[in-house]
Amino acid sequence: MNQLTTTAIILSRTDYGEADRILTLLTPDQGKLRLVAKGVRRVKSKLAGGIELFSVSHITFIRGRGDMGTLVSTRLQAHYAHIVQHLDRTMAGYDLIKQLNKATEDQPGPDYFHLLHQTFQSLDDVSVPLSIIHLWFAMQLLRLGGHEPNLHTDAAGQRLDAGAQYQFSLDDMAFSPAARGRFAAAHIKFLRLGFAGQPPRVLAHVRGSTALVETCAPLVQAIATHVA
Amino acid sequence: MAHVLVVEPDIHLARAYVGALQHAGHQVQAAGSAQMAIHAADTQTPDVVLLELQLPAHGGIEFLYEFRSYPEWGAVPVVINSYTPPHVLASVADTLRDELGVHAVLYKPQTSLDVVLRTVAACLKGAA
Repeated sequence: MNQLTTTAIILSRTDYGEADRILTLLTPDQGKLRLVAKGVRRVKSKLAGGIELFSVSHITFIRGRGDMGTLVSTRLQAHYAHIVQHLDRTMAGYDLIKQLNKATEDQPGPDYFHLLHQTFQSLDDVSVPLSIIHLWFAMQLLRLGGHEPNLHTDAAGQRLDAGAQYQFSLDDMAFSPAARGRFAAAHIKFLRLGFAGQPPRVLAHVRGSTALVETCAPLVQAIATHVA
Repeated sequence: MAHVLVVEPDIHLARAYVGALQHAGHQVQAAGSAQMAIHAADTQTPDVVLLELQLPAHGGIEFLYEFRSYPEWGAVPVVINSYTPPHVLASVADTLRDELGVHAVLYKPQTSLDVVLRTVAACLKGAA
């Protein structure tokens, strides 16, 4: 029997039969897995504790003949319990899991697993504002999808000037000098930090981060819409 | 007669809701946790759920996402009756209504039993 072990995060759960659940899991080495978890709908199932959302678990499973395998056992490795103590962070967590599930194909690389794991760690740290986590997450999805904007030279290929104002061109995916542009050096540095993959808590420590998020979030959202 | 599932961790409040709803002619099941509520719904599909969000172990929002992930429970109306302050719920009102099918939100400290009964009755009427 081809029994495999890996680390996994639950992306979604749907029902299957009277007492079974089909789980979609994200792993660092096996991509996305669709596994039947037998009997987990029942209160006393030994599997139930290991298939929590907002958790990382060690799982053992058997590959099936089709695209569906069977979950054999689970062991909770880390559970981010602070998330579910806050309504807004819980709902943000569900939203970000859904976004990642939608944005990834069947064989996403390990970076997506690490992104989601880091997202849980950030949501669990209540000192990190949700607005920063949302913005950071959107930046990482763009980065991993190969849609990182040019944050070093302008649309004409000139190095960005710390004393200049800029506007952003979605067609060029780069900034252009504009006397009344909304973006200055502080915004561009903030975006560089985010797109470099620095964790949300680092972004939260940047002076004026709240105002920077307010200006940068619509830009990142616009880029995401443009490349979708 | 409708079947009402009361998800309420406070045993005294749960008794009060169960008594009032039974007096109003409903069949009532009470559950003190999210997992017990899933189990109760598994035993008998409710016509309406009266839900406290502040539950032990798994919160009411987790329960709602779990509950809605079962197609047969997708259309069951849910009334939130919670200690969670209205300003907190206001920030997530759209998701509660559009994604989680919450029909009404009541702030428990300011809600009488009569209002709970009328809200449940309105939900059942709307769902009929």
